[in-house]
Amino acid sequence: MAERGANRRPEHLAAVPDSGAPPPVDAGDLLREVARGDEKAFGRLYDLVAPRVYGLIRRVLRDPAQAEEVAQEALVEVWRSAARFDPARGSATAWIFTIAHRRAVDRVRSEQAASERTIRAGAASVDTPYDAVADEVSGRLERQQVRRCLEDLTDLQRQAVTLAYYQGHSYPRVAELLGTPLPTVKTRMRDGLIRLRDCMGTGVSA
Amino acid sequence: MTTEIHTLVGAYVLDAVDDIERASFERHLRECESCRTEVDEFRETTAQLAHDTWSVPPPWLRENVLTEIARTRQAPPIVPEAPVVTPVRGVSRRRWLISAAAAVVVAAAGAGSTVYAVQDQRVRDQREVAEAARLNEARVRQVLGASDVVLSKRPVTTGGQVTVASSRLQNAGVVLLSADAAPAGRVYQLWTIRPGADPVSAAVLAQGQSADVVLVEGLPGAALVGVTLEPPNGSATPTLPLVADVKLV
Repeated sequence: MAERGANRRPEHLAAVPDSGAPPPVDAGDLLREVARGDEKAFGRLYDLVAPRVYGLIRRVLRDPAQAEEVAQEALVEVWRSAARFDPARGSATAWIFTIAHRRAVDRVRSEQAASERTIRAGAASVDTPYDAVADEVSGRLERQQVRRCLEDLTDLQRQAVTLAYYQGHSYPRVAELLGTPLPTVKTRMRDGLIRLRDCMGTGVSA
Repeated sequence: MTTEIHTLVGAYVLDAVDDIERASFERHLRECESCRTEVDEFRETTAQLAHDTWSVPPPWLRENVLTEIARTRQAPPIVPEAPVVTPVRGVSRRRWLISAAAAVVVAAAGAGSTVYAVQDQRVRDQREVAEAARLNEARVRQVLGASDVVLSKRPVTTGGQVTVASSRLQNAGVVLLSADAAPAGRVYQLWTIRPGADPVSAAVLAQGQSADVVLVEGLPGAALVGVTLEPPNGSATPTLPLVADVKLV
């Protein structure tokens, strides 16, 4: 977070394709073309999802260099297994973020095995500040909805969901951090997701 | 039991479970249609959570990724989703789990013969030292049930095929040989071949044996699984040519 500041904005805005007006493309359509080995389609898919893939992984790992490495692995994995995406099971973005999240969590867990450093950070704050530049780009409404829906949860539901999803903690660790019995944490994760699902709708967005 | 495992659905979607819980939950998913629906819906929900994490990646990441994909071979589609296997009343849980594991491989490999290989293994295991066999069997199921299992299949030049199920998460693979009978006086031997290292024997089959299921720990680091024909009791180094070779991704 040390590099946050006004002088950072031009560079990052410049890195965003089409200066905030991305073409209306559907991740599912692109993924189908990618599955046929279309590298150009993959480039467009990259532009569509990379900020969220990278952002998600960075949120979990909190280390930009590692996030970059894991984001690369995750995106190459998307290319490699594109033919295995089954649209009947959900949206392309959900599939991609599942891969990205799993990778990030795997990395964070192997780190945790070696050191306990993330426990401190994890306990200290559930809300990691997000990149302000993102507001300029897109998705503001979606983010507002996510936050509104998160606020609708009980404290325990919200903490259980966010500690696991945004920080990559296992549910026993979450139970420990929250001083809550294991079965309660499992239940709160599930009913938290049910409430989020109902609040956000199960609608699919690219 | 079903209710118990199902309470993990939230933790599972949030990736807050360990590898073993993940494998058992995914086994549970294969028999529970409504659970799959719930998981799919929750995945859409967590995808929305990812909207809150926008962060512009460093510009060079795009180029690095595109360079990398240009030299990365794509995996073939997974042949139909694991079928819904309805457990027959009265069938023991143990047997049910094994058939579920076998069903995955059969569905994914599209080869009916592999199921017999798995059952052969089971029958043999029961005759061997019980505990070791049970552990091996559990491990085989675990690898076959891993969420990231990748299947590669190659023909054997003497007839039949070899299938390798490899999981990075489990850091292991399962080699399923289902070949035609070896020529008289020869046996099949399996090898793992790593770059810059001598081939390592993974298994020597008995005379007359042409099917086997072999668990190989650490397999994802290997480049190749090879099959050769050797004199009875096998050889220290592979006798070329390979009758089958499976390149690992």
